[in-house]
Amino acid sequence: MMWKESYRIGVPLIDQQHEELFHRVSVFIQTVREKGDWNEKLPKVKETMDFMQKYVVFHFDDEESFQEKINYPDLESHRIAHAKFKQSVNNYAERMVKENYSEDLAQEFSGKLMAWLIMHVAATDQKIGEYLRKKGGEQL
Amino acid sequence: MKADYVNPFFMSTKEVFRLMLGLDVIRGDLRILEDMVPSKEANALLGVTGDLQGSVLFSYPREMALEMVRIMSGMDMHEIDSFVSSALGEVANIIGGNAVTKLTESRLTCDIVPPQVFVGEYKSLSMATGKALLIPLRTSIGEFDMTVFLKENTK
Repeated sequence: MMWKESYRIGVPLIDQQHEELFHRVSVFIQTVREKGDWNEKLPKVKETMDFMQKYVVFHFDDEESFQEKINYPDLESHRIAHAKFKQSVNNYAERMVKENYSEDLAQEFSGKLMAWLIMHVAATDQKIGEYLRKKGGEQL
Repeated sequence: MKADYVNPFFMSTKEVFRLMLGLDVIRGDLRILEDMVPSKEANALLGVTGDLQGSVLFSYPREMALEMVRIMSGMDMHEIDSFVSSALGEVANIIGGNAVTKLTESRLTCDIVPPQVFVGEYKSLSMATGKALLIPLRTSIGEFDMTVFLKENTK
C-alpha cells in the first residue's frame, strides 16, 4: 500500500482526495505488474488512464480553489506544477493510444506517476498544512 | 568545475530521500574523476543546461534501487524493469528540479533534461574537458554515488 498517514495535511477534503489518488495509483500498479495476459488487463488499464485524466483535473481544481480561499502565497508555483503534471498525464494518454497500450509504456507511466504523486503529496502539499497551522488552523 | 555546484544537488538529494523514502543521506569524501563512469548497476543520468552545462549521474546498487521502489510502492521488486527505471528516473528528475531552484539563489539559471536510466557498470561516459566530482552517499538501505560534471556556459 502506498498511502501513509504522514501524508495527511489536515484538510479533510484534500486528504480524502489524496487517499483516493493513492488508492487508484496502487491498484493501477498492481494491475500493470501482476502476472497474466496483458490483453485481459487492458480494460482496467484504459479505465485507470481515463480516471486519472478526469480525477487529476478535479482534484487540482479543488486544491487550487482551497488555496485561493486561504490566500496561499505559493499558489502560482503550485498551479504551474499542477499544469505540468496534467500535461504529462495527457501526453502519456496520447502515447498510450498511439502505441496501442503497450505494456512497457504502461509500466513506465505507472512508475513516473507513483514517484510524482509521492513527491507532490509528501512534500509540496505538506506546505499547505504548514501554512494553515501557522495561520492558526483555518480549515474547510 | 567548482565544488560549490555540488552542494545544491547534494542538499536536494538529502531532502528528496527524506521526504519520499524516509531515509537519511550521509555524504562521504569527494573524489575527483577523469571520466564519468557508472560505478554501480542502476544509473540515472540527468542533463543540465543553461548557465551551467553538464550532467549529474546517480549510480545505485541493484538491491538498493529495488528497495527504493519497494518503499515507494509497498510492493516487492525483483528486477530493474520499466516500472523501476521510470520511478528511479522520476526521483532523479525531482532532485534535479529542486537543485535547479536552489541554483537560482546563486543567480544561476539552469534547466534539467529528462533523465536517462540505464542498467550496467563500467560504460564510460567520457567528458570532453574537465573533471567530474564523485560524492559517495550512504543510507540505511545501501550506498550510492552521485557524480557531478558541470561547467559554466561561456556563450
